[in-house]
Parts: sequence; C-alpha cells; structure tokens
Amino acid sequence: MARQYTPISKQRIADLVVLLLLTSLVAIYCVDAINASTDILNLILVLPVTLIVLVLCLVQFVSAVANIRVATEDRERFVDVVPVAGLFAAYVLSLPWLGFDIGTCLFLGAFLWLHGERRWPWLFGYSMSFAFVLSIFFSKMLPYSMPMLILPVAAG
Amino acid sequence: MIETASLLAAVEILFSSASPWLIVIPGIVIGLVFGAVPGLQISTAMAIFLPMTLYMDFMQAMLFLTAIFTGGGFGGSIPAILMNIPGTSSAIATAFDGYPMSRQGQHNVALGLALGSSCIGVIVGYTILFVLISPISELVLKIGPAEMTVVILWGITLIGSLSSGSLLKGVISGLVGLLIGTIGYSEAGVTRGTFGSTYLLDGVAVIPAMIGMFAASELFRLVKTEYLIEDSAARNVSVRLILKGFRRALAHPWIVLRGSLIGVFVGAVPGVGSSVANLLSYMATKRSSPAPESFGKGNPEGVIASEAANSTSEAGSLATLLALGIPGGGATAVMLAAFAMHNITGGPQFIREETDVVYAIIIANFGQAVLLIGLGLVLIPVLANVIKVPMNYLVPSVLAIAVFGAFGLTGDLSGPVTVLVFSVLGWLFKRYGYSVPAAVIGILLGGMAEDSVIYSYQISGGQWSYLLERPMALAILALLVASLFGTRLVDILKRRVAA
Repeated sequence: MARQYTPISKQRIADLVVLLLLTSLVAIYCVDAINASTDILNLILVLPVTLIVLVLCLVQFVSAVANIRVATEDRERFVDVVPVAGLFAAYVLSLPWLGFDIGTCLFLGAFLWLHGERRWPWLFGYSMSFAFVLSIFFSKMLPYSMPMLILPVAAG
Repeated sequence: MIETASLLAAVEILFSSASPWLIVIPGIVIGLVFGAVPGLQISTAMAIFLPMTLYMDFMQAMLFLTAIFTGGGFGGSIPAILMNIPGTSSAIATAFDGYPMSRQGQHNVALGLALGSSCIGVIVGYTILFVLISPISELVLKIGPAEMTVVILWGITLIGSLSSGSLLKGVISGLVGLLIGTIGYSEAGVTRGTFGSTYLLDGVAVIPAMIGMFAASELFRLVKTEYLIEDSAARNVSVRLILKGFRRALAHPWIVLRGSLIGVFVGAVPGVGSSVANLLSYMATKRSSPAPESFGKGNPEGVIASEAANSTSEAGSLATLLALGIPGGGATAVMLAAFAMHNITGGPQFIREETDVVYAIIIANFGQAVLLIGLGLVLIPVLANVIKVPMNYLVPSVLAIAVFGAFGLTGDLSGPVTVLVFSVLGWLFKRYGYSVPAAVIGILLGGMAEDSVIYSYQISGGQWSYLLERPMALAILALLVASLFGTRLVDILKRRVAA
C-alpha cells in the first residue's frame, strides 16, 4: 500500500476513536471481572494484562495526539464496505428464521445483485445451486441438525 | 535407540501385502479436502470416518487416520494461501506470506512451496520421532504448568516480531486478544465478559473468531476488486510453477530443518503444539533473515518455515500419544479413540512391547509423505482454480462457507455470530493498523495462558523461586530471550568486533 503523509484529518480522529473504543472495551471487561469476583484466581491474568493494555493505549494516544502529521494508508471506502457488512449481518442474524438453505440463497442473490450481476439465470441459478449444495453437504457431514426452511432438517 | 528386530518386523507388517496401503490414498484425499474447506477440521474428518476403522485391523486403522492427519495438515495451507483463510490454526503463519504471494500472482509457487516443505517436513519430523521417540516422551513428562506458561509467553512475544506496522499497536492487539481468550467461566467459578449471553459461557469460539478476523474482514476489503489476482495472465494454474515452488522448498534445507525441529518438539506439548510451532518457526526464520522487512509481504521463506513446522508437529503430537497415551489435540484424541476401539492402550508399555507397530506407523508416514506429493500435484491445480472466480461470486460464496463451517464447529448459531462479530472487529483492526495475527494468537492462547498461570501459582504458592527449580522452564525462557534479543546482540557484537 502506498504510504502518504497528510495533516490532521478525519482519519486521524477515527484512529483515536478506535483506540478509545478498544480502551473502553478492555476497561469494561476488567470491571466486569472485578465485579464478578475479586478472587485471585479470577484476576490473576485479567487484571495485570488489562493494566498493561491501558498503559500502552495511553502511550499510543499521547503519541498519536503529539504527532502533527500522521502516516496513513490507502483505505477502502466506507460506502463500499458498509452495505456488504450489513448484508452479511442480516444473513447471519436471519438464519434462525430463514434457515441455511433459503438464507444463503437470498444472501448470495442479494450480494450478486448489489455488485452488478443482472443476468437472471446466473443470479438465480448460482444462488440456488450453491446454497442447496452447500446446505446438503454440511447437513450430511455434521452430526447435528441445521436450521432449514425447505430442505429436510436431518443430522448426517 | 533403534531396535533392528522390531524395525524388520515393521517392514514386514507394512510391505508383506498391499492391504495396509489401500486405505492411505483415500485417507490423504479426505484430509486434503477437509483441510481445504474452511471450518471443516481435520479432527472432524477423523471423527466422521472413525467408525469405518472398526472394520479394519489396528495397523490399517492407524494408517487411515494418520493419512487423514497428513493430508489435512497440508490441506489447511490451500485456503490460507489462496484466500487468507487458515484452514486450521496451525496454518496461520502460512497465510502471512502465502496470501500476499497469491495476490502478486505467485499462487502456484506458494502452493508448491507449501507442498514441498510439508512433505519434507513430515519426512524429517518422523525421522526425528523414529530416533528420539523415547527421549521426547520423557521430555514431555517434565512439562508442567510453569513450562506451559513460558511456552505460551513465547507465543505471545511473537506479537512484537509479527507486527509489520506499529509495534505498540501489535502488542495492544495481542493483549486484547489474550483478554478475549479469557472470556467465560473462570477458575474462581464465576463468569466474566459474557454480558448475560449463554453462548459465551465456554468462552469465545476460537476458530470461528479466527475465520472472522482473517477471512471475512479481508473479503470486506476486497469487495470492489474484480479478481483475487488483478493481472489476468497471472491467474493461470500451472503444474510447472507448482513444481518450481516445490523445488524451491528443497533449496532451503536449513529453514525446513529448523521448522521441523521446532515442530516436532513444540508439537509434542499437549494443547499448544501445532498452533504455536508454525509461529515460532516463522519468527525464527524472519529474525535470521537478512531482509526481515520482506516478511508478511510475500516472502517464500515464510511459507516454508510455517509449513515445515506445522506438518512436523503432527509427528510431535503422535509421539505424545504413542509414548504417553496423551492426546495433544482433537486429531490425536480421535486416534486415542481408535486405540480404545482396538483394545490398545498407548503409553511406555505400548512402546516397549509393540515397538514393531510403532515403527510401522512411523515408516508408513514416510510413504504417506511421498504419496502426498503425487496427490497434492493432482489436486492442487483443481483446488487452485478458485482464483479464476470473479470476486463478486467468490466473496459471498466464501462468506457463506465460513458461516456453514462456523456452525459446524460450534453446533449452534454462536459460531456464525462469532464470525460476524470478529469479521467487523478484524476489518477495524486492519483498517486502523492493529495486528490481526497478534490478536488471533492472543485469543488462541488466552484461556490456556490463564490456566497455566493459575496452576503455577497454586503449585508454587506464589513464590517466584519456584521457577528456579524448573530447569526446563528456565531453558525455554532463555530461548525466548535469545529469540527476542539474540539477533540484536549478535549485531552489536559484530559491530564491536569490526570497530
């Protein structure tokens, strides 16, 4: 990736926000662990590691703020990634209702449509065949039943 | 150390008829396919086909299961190289340089390198096992929680050297991963970080998290790419180039030998084994390279180092199983079940009384390595065609396979949800310069690290002097320090001598 140097930007603010997010998550986890029990067996690793992470995050924060210019990398655009991540989230979260067969078929079809596939035989043919072959293969291979809407729910 | 009579008996067992070998080829193919499909573990393949071994004699059963093990060991490198999805945790380091090589159109060479170093690694690893099975097993018996802690610490210190960007962010990533790895029930009998979710009681599902962080996050970044390899001319699958890669692996005997030694000894450590061995070998190769900055950007030596170690760690884990009857991981646990099905108990007595069978198993693995070369050369060109698929088809298909595979690993929807959560986390990590591999290593070793620290604390009563009574732990600690500062120290000494 080509490196370039830019002045303070939205990107740098985003870097700091991500750092703060990580710091907060680590702190919340540690507080949750302390609330659960102050027994040494519960905190013997979590507490020291959390303290080290918090110190390192502080150092990173200070060095990021102190630097007037920051190294940035070419990054993919948010608008390209967010719809895909959203679609993937919808696919995974709808599996209990749509099942692996129909859920996968719809996910593939929607993804292909979103990325410019307009040939209906390909759109339907690929989505359905791939989803059903995959569903049948895994349902036969796995020792537990998978949620399905159309295909029979049977352990392999 | 080698008993000639038993050796001759082993040769007779294996070569007096073709029947023991008939099941080896299907075994390797099964392993290759299961290893190459993300989410389908080698141990899953072995468990699925375990009932079939009831109809075989013990020797055939062991050949069949080790063939799956051998095929799967290499199979995991195929998705790691082509799609940045380590098929198993032992192929993590293979993806570091294998995937960049693929993106540069060198996928054929990378696959050949992986095949070559895997096959040679298996041969070297089993040769070491053949000669040293008894000393290795005695060594494994001396490994206590203190040694485990130090081995894990060794794994965690890889973080610094694996981070191609900011070292600080690399360490933060690794430690955040370590904390994620401790989510769930603790030894104190309480739950942490589950936020009321019953899915997290046993902790975060490691392999789905790994698939999410490595693969799904990478696929998010590639959505606007037309093909995995932009240059259409470089997209060809060429057996000639695969063979070129294979030969290139032979040109680095020292890297293969070092990886094999690391693989066989670290692989023998129950639980940690292959997950750490490939990283240690990768780190050692990177540190000793005159161009360490080229690692992570498509350096062939990185692929050789990782594959030599992970294929050899199979021999190490088999040593623990045969000599002590202790399975080091899922795959050897299935083998232990096969032992039980044939009324055989692994351990020192088994090695002493059935030396010919032990030798036969080891010699059979040499044959499997040779067969793997042929089968690999036939199957790789078929599997490598994935790079010719347009990304708008490949991205949703691989994401769907990842979701199915994750369900297969957990048996419920926590697997797919884990892939989703960690794909977003992995994408954020990559976007903002945090190290995904370091975080994954942390997640992999978090639970184990906590257990080892607790056991060490309980045994030592909180006294640091306990460590001084553990020479092996001190030796590993010295190795850790040497691996971290050794190169720098040598440089300083060289400069002083030159001055």
